[in-house]
Amino acid sequence: MNAVKGRTVLFVVIAPFVLTGAALGWLRESRSYRTAPPVTAELETSRLLPIGIGGAPAEVYFASGSVYEKDAYNLSQGKRLYDWFGCPACHGDGRGKNGPSFLDGWWLYGPDMVSIMASIRNGRPHGMPAFRDRMTEEQIWQLAGYVETIGAYKALIAAPSRNDGIHTRPSENRAPAVILFEQGPVGNRREQGPTP
Amino acid sequence: MSEAQSVPPSDTEFEDGIVEERLRRLWARRRGFWGALAAVDHKVIGRRYIATAFVFLGLGGLLALAMRLQLAAPEARFIDADRYNQIFTMHGTTMMFLFAVPVMEAMAVYLVPLMVGTRNIAFPRLNAFSYWTYVLGGILLWVAFALDVGPDVGWFAYVPLAGPEFSPGKRADIWAQMITFTEIAALSVAVGIVVTVFKQRAPGMTLDRIPLFVWAMLVMAFLVIMAMPAIMLASTTLILDRLVETQFYNPAEGGDSLLWQHLFWFFGHPEVYIIFLPAVGMVSTILPTFCGRPVFGYLALVMAMIATGVLSFGLWVHHMFTVGLPRLGESFFTASSMSIAIPAGIQIFCWLATLWDGRPRFQTPLLFIIGFIITFVMGGLTGVMVASVPLDTQVHDSYFVIAHFHYVLIGGAVFPLLGAIYYWFPKFTGRMMSERAGKWAFGLIFVGFHMTFFPMHMLGLMGMPRRVYTYQPEMPWGNINLFVSLSSLILASGFLLFFIDVVRSYRRGEEAGDNPWGASTLEWAIASPPPPYNFRRIPVVESREPLWDCGETLPVASGLRLDRRELIVTSVVQGLPEAREASPQECIWPFWAALATAFLLIWSIFSPWAVVWGSIPAAAALIAWFWPKGTPEDEG
Repeated sequence: MNAVKGRTVLFVVIAPFVLTGAALGWLRESRSYRTAPPVTAELETSRLLPIGIGGAPAEVYFASGSVYEKDAYNLSQGKRLYDWFGCPACHGDGRGKNGPSFLDGWWLYGPDMVSIMASIRNGRPHGMPAFRDRMTEEQIWQLAGYVETIGAYKALIAAPSRNDGIHTRPSENRAPAVILFEQGPVGNRREQGPTP
Repeated sequence: MSEAQSVPPSDTEFEDGIVEERLRRLWARRRGFWGALAAVDHKVIGRRYIATAFVFLGLGGLLALAMRLQLAAPEARFIDADRYNQIFTMHGTTMMFLFAVPVMEAMAVYLVPLMVGTRNIAFPRLNAFSYWTYVLGGILLWVAFALDVGPDVGWFAYVPLAGPEFSPGKRADIWAQMITFTEIAALSVAVGIVVTVFKQRAPGMTLDRIPLFVWAMLVMAFLVIMAMPAIMLASTTLILDRLVETQFYNPAEGGDSLLWQHLFWFFGHPEVYIIFLPAVGMVSTILPTFCGRPVFGYLALVMAMIATGVLSFGLWVHHMFTVGLPRLGESFFTASSMSIAIPAGIQIFCWLATLWDGRPRFQTPLLFIIGFIITFVMGGLTGVMVASVPLDTQVHDSYFVIAHFHYVLIGGAVFPLLGAIYYWFPKFTGRMMSERAGKWAFGLIFVGFHMTFFPMHMLGLMGMPRRVYTYQPEMPWGNINLFVSLSSLILASGFLLFFIDVVRSYRRGEEAGDNPWGASTLEWAIASPPPPYNFRRIPVVESREPLWDCGETLPVASGLRLDRRELIVTSVVQGLPEAREASPQECIWPFWAALATAFLLIWSIFSPWAVVWGSIPAAAALIAWFWPKGTPEDEG
């Protein structure tokens, strides 16, 4: 029967895609609710330049695929931690209050992951507390990844969407920073000057 | 047609042999790979649909076994919580959206045109489009699962869990978009079924001569048309909430998370009957054949089916008794939920009366029907129990509910479906399935089913919640769970035997004649498997059981052209011939249109711009689809 033959051909066409997909799926890191303790211990060895700005994450960070910056689950956990640990008290919805904005493109200590992580972990002068003893290493990295996303120039597909709450600005997957750049800097640190 | 033109050849002027030869050439299926993609014959599409749905049944069943493996012992560590969430979601989604609903529609696609005596389903290209959409939706879901982005929010995807805040990544979007695929597919089939039943019945097939299977499929198609838009709205608004920050389900901005449950169950409850009513039709059609008498209470059965269909839209709230609704509303929906037991009871008593009065031949299809009656009555009784608010409050979200709905879904729909496969397999393939293997399969499935699911009632009453990936050894559930897991192997071996029997019989089963069971409906009047044109001449129906009442020869209508594909259009109520209507030829464009639609829908998980740019190829495919092809079928 030609219908049967056609189906066989179709199967031959589709099967490789399905098999490749399955293979990729196995190779791909699956969502884990808790990073393995040796990995987080290794993450703590990330080095910072002596001036406290910039540095190099631990090797294991790259080996595990920079998940805290790219993975939807970790970013959304970071977003939750942002609320739970009181970040909005000073940073508002990301546009800043008493603390600096994350959206205006001006990073006092640099925009890279290690600097943001260090700010959270060790604190910074003028009021940023250290969260070293309040959050786990994994949570600090999740939060840092999320904070980096808030100020991203380009919307990430993995970035979190809105919360079930009051809506004050476009959510991260709509790239709020891009929209705000068009309006000029927002936030209370006018002395930083115009957006670079 | 003007006098000057030559009169087109009509089947009145020729002998049977010549008519048959010309029809064979006229309705010939196109060969090869592209021919297979262009197929519009309802039998080809129906066969593919059924086969694909059973593949998904197998996959969903494997997932069920995986869950039973994990739950066999407390604190088992075969599957972690995240994968378990995906697995139970995939199991429910696959079984409901990729197996149960499509397979029932598929049976309609194959059988309804044969049973009403026409040559193809109405809108054959839309029918082909439906199949391709359905397959692509299924592939989307399963490839996503293989990539570890399978949905993990339950087959009902309640917000806020499935909403933007609590369901990161694209998992819930995959679910919602797969829903969109299957809705499009279901709606496309449903309109075809309605039009086929209303307008393409054989002359003389008045409303009260329609086979009950066809009535059931008609009611099912109307339920699809009325229920599916609700879920389409729900899945679309969910995607909008997640992707472009609309606020449909955000209470803080004036949205409502309960709205989701209302929309979902306004579809979800009729869906139960979309699955169950076709089974009612199958039972009502198979029973008379094996009892040797017309079904008892034809009118009562038809009315009961319609009443079930109407009532099914008035009881969705019984899925939501524990969300905190006003007392009066709960009472109303308790009453309406219990009232659906009345039409169900009427059906049961009509079938019992048919069995009682007939001389039952206990062959495999009838065994499945008897298994259905027993199991469905038990499921119906627990249904009446959970329809009452106090009891539902106790057992909600427990294994009691799991037991209940597997009793009504497997007992109420899968048993009749398996009986129907045994019954119509000779018509589909021209070969009989093995009676011995069939009895074994029935025994294993029936016993395995009850051993697997009956103890779940007890587990539920002992407090075991649904959707847990493991439980503690201190809980008194371990032994029963182990028993259930072992019993599920019996159930699975029954299904395995069934699948082996299907493959074996397809290859070298015993040859079946035109009418191996001595049945009364029109599909048995033609060869097995049916020729592409179904009927050499369109039959004329004079009674409810045409093959029993007409003896050897069936009266036929003639006057159809032999130079283009034609069928007869009849009036809705009386089945009086009204016109000759063309039926389209093979066409590749439904396939491309489905592919373009899939491209749009999948892309729109990632960017709202997909709706803009993706609509261009979809529109192009549709324009090409509707562009006149210059075939004789294009004439008015």
